[in-house]
Amino acid sequence: MTGRIQHLLSHVLDKRHTALRRDVAWTLAEHFCRNKVSPETRAAEGLRTMLSAEKPVFLPEETIAFTRTIKQIPDLYTKTEMEILRKSAYYHEKGCVFNIAPDYASTIKIGLDVRRAELQARLVQANAENDSTAQEFLSCALISVDAVLDLADRYRLEAERLELRHIGKILAHVPHHGARTFHEALQFLRILHYTLWCEGEYHNGLGRFDQYLYPYFAADLAAGRLTEESALELIEEFFLSCNRDSDLYIGVQQGDNGQSLMLGGVDKSGKDAFNALSRLCLKASCELRVIDPKINLRVSSATPLSILEEGTELTRQGLGFPQYANDDVVIPALVKLGYSLEDARDYVVAACWEFIIPGCGMDIPNIGAVSFPSVIDRTLHTSNAKTFDDFMCDVRAELMKEADHITASLTTVKILPGPFVSILCDGRIEAGRDFCEGNHYNNFGIHGTGLSTAADSLAAIRQMVFDEKLISLADLASVVDSDFKSRPELLAKARFGVPKMGNSDPAVDDLGKALLHAFADTWKGRKNNRGGIYRCGTGSAMYYIWHANELHATPDGRLTGEPFAANYAPSLNARVNGPISVIQSFTKPDLGRVINGGPLTIEIHDSAFRSSDGITKVAQLVKYFIDSGGHQLQLNAINRDKLKDAQAHPETHRNLIVRVWGWSGYFVELDKPYQDQIIQRVEMTV
Amino acid sequence: MNKQQLKSTGIIFEVREFCLHDGPGMRTTVFFKGCPMRCAWCHNPEGLSANIQLLVNQSICQHCGACREVCQNPQQCVVCGTCVTVCPQGCRRLCGRSISAEDLAAELRKNEPFFKKYDGGITFSGGEPLAQIDFLEALAGLLHPIHLTLETSGYASSDVYQRAVQSVDFVFQDLKHPDPVQHRRYTGVELEPVLANLNWLKASGRPFTVRIPIIPGVNDTPETLDRFAELLEGRSGLTRVELLPYHQTAGAKYALLGLKYEPPFDPARPLAINLVPFEERGIPCRIN
Ligand code: SF4
Ligand code: SF4
Repeated sequence: MTGRIQHLLSHVLDKRHTALRRDVAWTLAEHFCRNKVSPETRAAEGLRTMLSAEKPVFLPEETIAFTRTIKQIPDLYTKTEMEILRKSAYYHEKGCVFNIAPDYASTIKIGLDVRRAELQARLVQANAENDSTAQEFLSCALISVDAVLDLADRYRLEAERLELRHIGKILAHVPHHGARTFHEALQFLRILHYTLWCEGEYHNGLGRFDQYLYPYFAADLAAGRLTEESALELIEEFFLSCNRDSDLYIGVQQGDNGQSLMLGGVDKSGKDAFNALSRLCLKASCELRVIDPKINLRVSSATPLSILEEGTELTRQGLGFPQYANDDVVIPALVKLGYSLEDARDYVVAACWEFIIPGCGMDIPNIGAVSFPSVIDRTLHTSNAKTFDDFMCDVRAELMKEADHITASLTTVKILPGPFVSILCDGRIEAGRDFCEGNHYNNFGIHGTGLSTAADSLAAIRQMVFDEKLISLADLASVVDSDFKSRPELLAKARFGVPKMGNSDPAVDDLGKALLHAFADTWKGRKNNRGGIYRCGTGSAMYYIWHANELHATPDGRLTGEPFAANYAPSLNARVNGPISVIQSFTKPDLGRVINGGPLTIEIHDSAFRSSDGITKVAQLVKYFIDSGGHQLQLNAINRDKLKDAQAHPETHRNLIVRVWGWSGYFVELDKPYQDQIIQRVEMTV
Repeated sequence: MNKQQLKSTGIIFEVREFCLHDGPGMRTTVFFKGCPMRCAWCHNPEGLSANIQLLVNQSICQHCGACREVCQNPQQCVVCGTCVTVCPQGCRRLCGRSISAEDLAAELRKNEPFFKKYDGGITFSGGEPLAQIDFLEALAGLLHPIHLTLETSGYASSDVYQRAVQSVDFVFQDLKHPDPVQHRRYTGVELEPVLANLNWLKASGRPFTVRIPIIPGVNDTPETLDRFAELLEGRSGLTRVELLPYHQTAGAKYALLGLKYEPPFDPARPLAINLVPFEERGIPCRIN
């Protein structure tokens, strides 16, 4: 790491740049409400107002500019308006476009002046056709583009005034014109990314950074404008820029901001595309050890071990990434769902791990979630099955009911417009329609939480009720209602006397598999109201805490108040043999059927990474997962004593980073239940 | 396969996957129960006794009394395991299980393709595997061609030692102290058999690695390290020496057995590790 990057890093870690920020009490929503302004215009005016209030600032020694100085972005609707809107339709989360990966590359290539001209030409056509929807969208997009150009121009003038010649020169070219160099491309990307947050979009992914920036990187290298070292420095500076404003971004917890970045994988023609830039990105993340961007690495059974070793070096840093995705499983599975082969080969992850296609997907991959343990619980309370097979039939019926119920609640899904994000997405200008109207793919994703708790519960029910006949179904239902207080002696049995998923024991693994396949079956063929389908997955997001809180004890001996495992992993109170067995258990299901995503999470003690030998073995473990047909994997290098100490003395562990569910955050900034859950998770590791 | 192999039964206390420090590739380690040595710094006290034992994790006990209620022998535990099945917190477990070589081999062979594909294998550790030589030999015979590694103190008769070494592909040979008096003092047994076996191993040309736990104030002086290095001089299949610095967590498991960890040395004393004696003699050496 160069001295300059070191300075920038400490500047950001010490949060010195936050001194440049101010609060603004916006009243834009009230104004829009009074004047009955349309949604499209609100989005454009909101962005324009925000950007014109922004003030150009530069951190010492930086060469990639754009830092937020206003803490709040303006609300576009009053509270009452939002309530009314939500009565007429289902708006997911904040209601706007989020959790997608735009196509930055096309705009970086041609520049905003050309985009502007395209918008104007298309507007002429819309005027001629009297297409009022297009007229409004295109005019609004023009307002947005002009607002970005205006702020960029002010940045340039300020740079010139301060005699920051380097930045000034770059801003004299981008974003008006297409980038010519790697540095210009990074500055352009920074501007576009920055703008999305100001427009109100969130969980804005960075997509296949090593692919779309490679041409600039390679050309600079060939022309001698750049060396590997100077390129690394630029990448590091860009990565740091992702950490400047991130505390202002929206999320459930600090750090949950969806700045995912995808590396490696095959290109659109199917050729391996891991390149020198991918390698430098891994290195940059290794050196910086900051939480953004969140590194994902696409691999396959053909990936050489050396790349997995480079990934493992990054795992060793304790950031919880890279998260691996397996091309061998993901691509064919997406094709099966109706994605074109070319698009499927271009997949990235949304905020956490949902597989989406940059530029052309307007999927909502986290629209709902099924809690497997709740489904089992409802079956337990209603079923009068005489055999375990009958009980499983009742479980399937209950899963179907759950799917019906969720589908029925999602018949009016709408998204609020975003004219600026629209111009970064495929074909929206030609169509003259906002991205919120949809794009090539408009699928909904359904998470499945607590699979291991549910599989373990099924194993407990089978053994205690049907095989050993220790208790009837109805009595077991009241035992879980009583939190095992009515039959305390059953608790030890349920917890430690029944097989648990994660030990490569077919007795219970087959139940997990059956449950997951049944889940996929219940969603197959369902259409959503936006012309897409439903895809289900193994992710949990924050639902692993929410769903667990909603549910009392479970038949596997999990007591009221205890969480589920995050994503796709053994139960927290399950004793497991080790990572090999865990991989065997969790790759038994056909994971292509649950390709909304959601990683298997394995914790490995940080001591494993001390020697190069250890690095190789962890890399082999990753390979084993990939070869076994795993879809997505996330490894944590973790040290329990460190976590305990951090909980007791947060002040001395400000920079301790842990993986939470689909993202990594600073441990000391997490709420206590999340901290406890992570510590409990680590206690299960050897 | 002869009759004796078929009948062989042993006591093991753990089969652990993905052991990172026990040989090449991803390995599964089988821990044999029982050890003739009593090293003052032993961090695996549950491996010492050759008998099955009850382990109790007091730190998570909620004092519900369920274990006491079912116990028929509160005066003197007979390791019946009844209390284990009733503890809702999982505080209690029986350490050690008796298993036939055939059953254990069948369990381990399930992963044979895995070991093959990822150049891994199985390691025998303990406790002291050599203390159950018939079982070890039978088991190894049933596991070939899986790559096998043995981790041993080398404290056994030369016959037992040679049988064991000849049934595996690679040996991790532990050394504790080069001085007979100190060896007896800190491990409770004679050094002589260990040295005799080491010399045979060197002469055999078989590949092996030497592991030396470096204990503060016990074997970390320059003179001691020099004597270790001297022992390893000469032509042999020695691949390297690994020095394992003493770790403060060594005593972590004694409470499970109701024991107190009271090492006869100052565990907090900083270590003085010097690789020079090995390097001088051209012996590859690293600190693990
Ligand atoms: S049963 Fe378990 S928790 Fe209860 S007193 Fe005994 S050891 Fe403690
Ligand atoms: S193992 Fe048996 S004898 Fe020993 S404490 Fe438990 S119940 Fe009592």
